[in-house]
Amino acid sequence: MQIKKILNRDEIKEIEKIIEKNYGCKLNLKNLFLTGDEKIWIAGENVSTEFFSSVRNCYRIGIYFGKLKRNYKIKLSMEGATIVGKKAKRNVAIVDDKEAREFAEGNCIHKFECIDCEKNNFVIVKRNDDTIGVGILREGYIENLIPKARRMR
Amino acid sequence: MLPDYEKFFISPEWKSIRVNTLKIDKEDLLQKIDFEVKQIEWYEHGLWAKGEISKTLEYYMGYYHIQEAGSMIPPLFLPLEEDKKSVVIDACAAPGSKTTQMAMMMENKGVIIANDVNIKRIRALVHNVQKAGAMNVVITNQDARRFDLNSQADYVLLDAPCTASGKIAKIESIVKKWNYARIKAMARKQKKLVEGAYKVLKKDGIMVYSTCSIEPEENEEVIDFAVKNFNLEPEKFKIKGLKTRNGIKKWNGKEYEGADKCVRVWPQDNQTEGFFICRLRKY
Ligand SMILES: C[S@@+](CC[C@H](N)C(=O)[O-])C[C@H]1O[C@@H](n2cnc3c(N)ncnc32)[C@H](O)[C@@H]1O
Repeated sequence: MQIKKILNRDEIKEIEKIIEKNYGCKLNLKNLFLTGDEKIWIAGENVSTEFFSSVRNCYRIGIYFGKLKRNYKIKLSMEGATIVGKKAKRNVAIVDDKEAREFAEGNCIHKFECIDCEKNNFVIVKRNDDTIGVGILREGYIENLIPKARRMR
Repeated sequence: MLPDYEKFFISPEWKSIRVNTLKIDKEDLLQKIDFEVKQIEWYEHGLWAKGEISKTLEYYMGYYHIQEAGSMIPPLFLPLEEDKKSVVIDACAAPGSKTTQMAMMMENKGVIIANDVNIKRIRALVHNVQKAGAMNVVITNQDARRFDLNSQADYVLLDAPCTASGKIAKIESIVKKWNYARIKAMARKQKKLVEGAYKVLKKDGIMVYSTCSIEPEENEEVIDFAVKNFNLEPEKFKIKGLKTRNGIKKWNGKEYEGADKCVRVWPQDNQTEGFFICRLRKY
């Protein structure tokens, strides 16, 4: 796995700030690193990312957290959203069971309740305390960002 | 072939799932799901499940993993819950049922090097590790007979490729593929894999060797080879509530060392697939 940068404490703080700005919650993240395509990855606290990146045919370290966007935002992966979603206070869309299924299947949804959402911004879609995924709030609907391979089949 | 082998097929009505405690507690999951479940007597995070289990939101969210009950046994032979910060090598890991189970036993602490030689199967491993939220996993794509990892592990799980004859009660095609030459070739490979796994295991470390085959050549004979060629000592191990039997001591004129410490899980005893497991300590 080609690591571009293992993030130091200050750089992780920057990521936490982006998340706080977008989702209104403070996180204490550890062991983050970037790959060339501006993807952010997170590994367990005892995993030495530097060591493993040099191991022959190392294919993956930890899990994909999200992608850093130029506009000071992060497009969270489903698992990234699950980590953030537990504490998120804004840019959250609450859905019922039926809409949750629609969304998990990869469709846009039209019936939801917004908690402090900004238009054209990323929102975390939740059913009660469950994180269903990430989308973008558009005029009257949420655009679905769940990748095909991760959708409910 | 047995003329009436259809009689031995296990009813496919009840499947099994493992609660992914990295994401949810069992009690919370039970509140959310609406299919029928029963506790697997010998594993607190395992449930028998009946109904539609693969098209639920809870499955989509990674709250549980659909895993054959027998496949939940080998990781339990490693003391990972007591030794969370250890280094574990899962030598033949794809598609990752046991990797993700071990990650939850370790609560995402320590590190699991999940390796597989087959790149196509690695993709499934990546998917399952990501979905489980198993952050302590590093995935490598190497031939476990010739590991090049620059590290040694406290524990190695060698869930070896096998002829899968233990699945015979569930998957009919296994019956059709069964032949002795295949078994012998597989056994040769398994012995080489044991050697590879031995080299990356620390002294005093534990290796668990498992297969879902019932053939002695792929099981007791491999352990006999391990004990005679390496500093490996088989250890007795028991899981409360799981009906097991000892390994087969004599087969086709051969006598196997260490067989009395091996564990056989027969399909008819616990309604699982057949499994063979042996825990070996490096001295
Ligand atoms: C029984 S399956 C493993 C199942 C897995 N442990 C699980 O629980 O999901 C055996 C695996 O061994 C892999 N394998 C076969 N030969 C190998 C080798 N020489 N080195 C590493 N992996 C190998 C296969 O690709 C296959 O994925």
